[in-house]
Amino acid sequence: MTTGELTYTRVHDAPPELVFDCMTQPEHLTHFWGPTGTSTPVEEITVDLRPGGSFETVMVSDADGSTYTMRAVYLTIDRPRRLAWYEGDVEGGMRTEVTFSRLPDGRTEVVTRQSNVPEPFLAPEARAGFETSLARFDAYLATLVTHPPA
Amino acid sequence: MTVIDDDLTLVFTALADPTRRALLERLAEQGEAPVHQLAKPFAISQQAISKHLKVLENARLITRRQAAQTRLCAFDGDRLDHAADWIARHLAIWADRHDQLAAHLAALRATTDDADNRTDSDEGNNAR
Repeated sequence: MTTGELTYTRVHDAPPELVFDCMTQPEHLTHFWGPTGTSTPVEEITVDLRPGGSFETVMVSDADGSTYTMRAVYLTIDRPRRLAWYEGDVEGGMRTEVTFSRLPDGRTEVVTRQSNVPEPFLAPEARAGFETSLARFDAYLATLVTHPPA
Repeated sequence: MTVIDDDLTLVFTALADPTRRALLERLAEQGEAPVHQLAKPFAISQQAISKHLKVLENARLITRRQAAQTRLCAFDGDRLDHAADWIARHLAIWADRHDQLAAHLAALRATTDDADNRTDSDEGNNAR
């Protein structure tokens, strides 16, 4: 029975640091982020790599030039082990978590967990993690309000 | 979009409970069934079963109708298909993304190897 949460596992022939950097640096992301048949212009990729920071990409269709903008907020940044972000305006909110594990042969296992999961559905441990991230995000926003950037 | 997304939330929430999943599986296997018969295998009250059926109905995973003195439930697969579609769609995106990432990493390796080879041959030239 489906649970509304997907897990996708893939092994890459590169160390975790490089795979993590590929996932978090525009000059790498531009090469692979958009689905086949789209391009992701490097100048339209925003990566503010900190909890509460923006992660935005614009995918341009090769066929008709139409665009799809992904707007996400980073929740967890732990190079080269974990990365998580949240898309608030898609399908009622979607959380993506990527973990990078170094295999004995030097390759990296990348596990992606994605859920567009309403709160009551989340496993307690997942919910705790999410709430912690959101709490940190709130705390970060509070510092912005207290000390507006000069 | 919003309406569909809310429906999806209802579906996932409905499926989060093992009793509800079991009820749904029974209905999917045996087609339409009266409520009292559905409740039989479960060690919980008829009232609790009714609540679960209500959640399934709200998620539009089942339909209910009255036939004479009996309330009948039937499985409605459209919503479930929609949930399965969501998962399939996002899996396809990640599979595609990782294919392209693998190609990108291979290209990076090739560049590094070229650089290494050039360095090696430079060293060779220096040695001569």
